[in-house]
Amino acid sequence: MTGPVIWDPSTLPVDDNVNPYAFSVALDGRWFLQKGKMVAYYGNISFHPIGYGALDSLISTSFHSPTHAADWVVAEGRGHMILADRSYDVNSYDLENGNLTVRSGNLLAYAPTLALKQSIIPGFLTLIGSGKFVAASNGPVHFVEPPIRVDPQALVGWADCPSPCHHFDHAYMRGVLGGVRRLTGIGGASGEEHQFEFVGAGQVLLQSTEVLMTELATGLVADEPGIPGQAPPQQGGQMRPNLGALGQQLGF
Amino acid sequence: MQGSRVLAVDLAGDSVKARNGSMVAYDGQMTFKRMSGGGEGLRGLVTRRITGEKMTVMEVQGQGTCWFAERATEINLVRLSGERLHVEASNLLCTEATLRTGTEFTGLRGASEGHGLFTTKVEGQGWAAVTSDGPAVILRVARGLPLRVDPGAYVAHTGNLKQSFRTDVTWRAVVGETGGESFQIEFEGDGLVYVQPSERRTFAGDA
Repeated sequence: MTGPVIWDPSTLPVDDNVNPYAFSVALDGRWFLQKGKMVAYYGNISFHPIGYGALDSLISTSFHSPTHAADWVVAEGRGHMILADRSYDVNSYDLENGNLTVRSGNLLAYAPTLALKQSIIPGFLTLIGSGKFVAASNGPVHFVEPPIRVDPQALVGWADCPSPCHHFDHAYMRGVLGGVRRLTGIGGASGEEHQFEFVGAGQVLLQSTEVLMTELATGLVADEPGIPGQAPPQQGGQMRPNLGALGQQLGF
Repeated sequence: MQGSRVLAVDLAGDSVKARNGSMVAYDGQMTFKRMSGGGEGLRGLVTRRITGEKMTVMEVQGQGTCWFAERATEINLVRLSGERLHVEASNLLCTEATLRTGTEFTGLRGASEGHGLFTTKVEGQGWAAVTSDGPAVILRVARGLPLRVDPGAYVAHTGNLKQSFRTDVTWRAVVGETGGESFQIEFEGDGLVYVQPSERRTFAGDA
């Protein structure tokens, strides 16, 4: 048996994985990270809250999601930082003048060359620009290309511009019997009647589990007409009885 | 080792000490004997009762192979040759009979990990198995190369390390805006620190 690997700052990888569950950042300057994802560091690094005055200019270019501000910090200084999250798989991704949307709880850290924006879809964050970011997933991440339908719980994020929409299994839920089945589970519901559908060019990122990370309470965006997400996001396929036009068509 | 989550121990008449209930299978002839107070005698028993660093240990003796596992956590083997391993009792799975265990005071650092004020030390020659949530990352600390660790991610350390508790709580924390990493343990000296890629709940909340 070979002995375990012992790391120190000269052997730690530069902006790469230490093992599938831990990521090392060679910090020289600033990085954004989500609170509590740093497990250890060498060197001289300080952690500032987003509201820290000296960071104003950085925040104005790279951080555009005020409702998430309480969950993020800026690491500043020189040294090596090790990031990890509940021993989930951790991966880094390079964006080149692109965009990627990811579930907010899955994003660990990103370089300030990227700009973080809140997605129109509640609970998701979009990164725009060029640079590196680190995200966690329960089990390895799989990249698939649209058109595809995915389980809501397995979705980690998507890159470029596929169009995400809800898909309900119409054939299965049709008619009165189907409606009863849907609402009561009598007669067997497969639990897969509701999916996210992606069409268009791009990549969809999936995790190999249906375990969701705990959603962070992020508050709601400003209450203005036309902004989705005023109600808590609906997940797990549990439909509310009021389905509008779709509901009427289904016989509710 | 079999995989990284099951520990296989071959015994030929000798014995190991393991956490109560961590045996998953064995073949050959084995006897399991519960040892009160971590097998440290009456004094050890009393110390552990008082300090809350509880550890129920069994002695496994016999011929054959015995497999140990604990809630599918990763198992890290640590080879000790005379040095001292400091580990939380809840992270210690199994030690060779040649190793001595004991309790020690850690002060504020222990409290920050949500594990009480005391920790377990293991000394002697032999192998010890330490569990961690995800494979542990081993980090070297040398002179002029201090390491700071999140209390919730700390698992164990060996060598001659001085640890101190660091806070950067400023007035901003008082008004509810913190850097999120306000509490850290600083290690200085010469040795190795085992860090798990996951954080326990600590009294400082998500800090």
